Amino acid sequence: MRPLTKVTEIPQISTGFGSGNIYRERILPLLRYLRRNPLLIGGIGLLVALFGCVILGYLFYEQEDWMGNKQGVDGLTRADSVTAREKPSWNPFGVHPLGTDEQGRDILAVMIVGTPLTLRIGLIAAAIGVGVGMILAFLAAYVGGWVDGIIRVVVDSLIPIPGLLILVLIATSLNPGKGLTVDQMAFVISILAWPGPARAIRSQVLVMRERGYVEMARMSGTSTIGIVFREMMPNLSPYVLASFVASVAGAILASVGLEALGLGPLDSPTLGMTIYWNIYTSSLLKSLWWWLIPPIVVIVLLFIGLFLMSAGLDEVANPRLRRRV
Amino acid sequence: MPWNYIISRLAMFFVTIYIASTIVFFLPRISGQNPLEEKLLEEAARGGFLEDTQAMVEAFDEKYGFNKPVWEQYVKFMVDIVQFDLGRSIFNWPKTVNQLLAETILWTIALGLLTLIFAFIIGTLMGAILEWKRHKTFLMVLMSPILTLSAVPYYLFGLVLLLAFSFVWSIFPLFGGYSRGIAGWPDWSNWSFIGNVLWHATLPALSVVLVSLGGWAMGMRGMMVTTKGEDYMLQAEAKGLPDRVMFFRYGIRNAMLPQLTGLALQLGLIVSGLVLVEVVFSYPGVGGLLVQAIPRNDHAVIQGIVFVLALGTALATLILDLAYPLVDARIKYSQG
Repeated sequence: MRPLTKVTEIPQISTGFGSGNIYRERILPLLRYLRRNPLLIGGIGLLVALFGCVILGYLFYEQEDWMGNKQGVDGLTRADSVTAREKPSWNPFGVHPLGTDEQGRDILAVMIVGTPLTLRIGLIAAAIGVGVGMILAFLAAYVGGWVDGIIRVVVDSLIPIPGLLILVLIATSLNPGKGLTVDQMAFVISILAWPGPARAIRSQVLVMRERGYVEMARMSGTSTIGIVFREMMPNLSPYVLASFVASVAGAILASVGLEALGLGPLDSPTLGMTIYWNIYTSSLLKSLWWWLIPPIVVIVLLFIGLFLMSAGLDEVANPRLRRRV
Repeated sequence: MPWNYIISRLAMFFVTIYIASTIVFFLPRISGQNPLEEKLLEEAARGGFLEDTQAMVEAFDEKYGFNKPVWEQYVKFMVDIVQFDLGRSIFNWPKTVNQLLAETILWTIALGLLTLIFAFIIGTLMGAILEWKRHKTFLMVLMSPILTLSAVPYYLFGLVLLLAFSFVWSIFPLFGGYSRGIAGWPDWSNWSFIGNVLWHATLPALSVVLVSLGGWAMGMRGMMVTTKGEDYMLQAEAKGLPDRVMFFRYGIRNAMLPQLTGLALQLGLIVSGLVLVEVVFSYPGVGGLLVQAIPRNDHAVIQGIVFVLALGTALATLILDLAYPLVDARIKYSQG
């Protein structure tokens, strides 16, 4: 037999889908790494559990509205089909597990609809923020000179300005008195979401540019674009991911803050708006504590999940932290 | 400290202020709304007899130059800002924004500074001790809830505190900066009034301090790890210095420096967070003023608050940056 049979086997193995080798080569090491990174697991687990609940709620949770029709969570949170025109009440073993709010809406349904809406704001704003930040970071690090100077000065001078207040100004001037929609909120927040990622990624790019493999690629004639996308991006991805998760948390923080000030989407039942209505109608003075607790608990769970995830990703991005702790 | 560092840092400060005031000028003008017209229409709807709203709006615009081209208004706005004239509130007419701010901003500054200093000192000490005495398990047990808290926004934790300590157990008041309806108050020479103010401030302050402890502690712990490995620590140990001296003079003094930089970065966050804490607790600071101004589109007030708070944080950052070399003698500024 020819001695080269073994060599010809190799490509067959690595492209074979059914043979479970992608599992062995890619997923298994990842899982093995995750076992050493409890923060990341905890964060992802918390978020997955939360969204499991949301999906289950969307699939199975329904109530009779005041007309006697069956309604899913979407219908239950619309103003024209509130569950029952009854007094706000709380009875965990009754029809409404989390009780009803001041307008007789089912609070569990509001939570199920509100959680993905709030996360949507965070995801859109963070995606725009990190995207713009990354472009600016590469521009600053690669073009250098006055471009770098301008970007650095603008970033450095935007960071000490309290962001929420600028967002308040933007939100009040865009649509005075009527509130923004969920997606408009996301765009407004993304306006101030880029300086943080830009600063963090720029310094990473500057360090990475001097690394051996980038130098190697440059000497072998790879174009700048090729270096950026094929050499640097894969190595930068943990940083980008970490700063993305941190930006999602920051954007949600900003959105809940804006909403608590009354600048949110008045007709969408996001978590922050639930808190706003609580403050607005002074629910605590009326002893409606069961209306206030659920949004706080869900937001806190979201933040803790994102916080654990970003701490875990930091550990991936900075291997030195691994040894330290 | 070299002069060119001071000059470039000052230039940075002025750029920040310039950007902030430009944002503050242009943003409200995007909407094309005239808040005065709205206020007058609202009055008319309430039944107040207003002869000719349009003429009144025009007269107002004429008097305050709102009918001039935008660039002329911009120049005037900038000149006013330099003289610290922030205009007049429309809804609290004829009070100026400066008067409104003077009534409220001391509450915010007092609350903000106190909470920042408390959180900084306690958090930094906690982080340092955490690393210094690694074997003490109770510290680790204490840390996990505090770290978890640091992921929560101040005002949400404030709501939880409010729920627990004012609603379930009525230990602290539900709202306000001091008890209303008592003759002669506010009276700052009266001790029972000051006690009342502190009693009202406890929960808002606690919500900020407890939440921000974790961040300081983690930062300090990380720096302490590095400091413990330095040669001078080994030397101190070899000299047989007492543990207390090593901890304070060798450990904390060196590890604390990046924490001071963090202090500057935290300022902006604290201010933003504080505004919402004030809303939650109906505290009489600028947060409350802002919440009143927002639904009424009282642009001058909103602009004034945003500008003053941005100015405050930028100024504090500047002072911290300039004071930094006084604390750390090793630092030499070669470039901005």
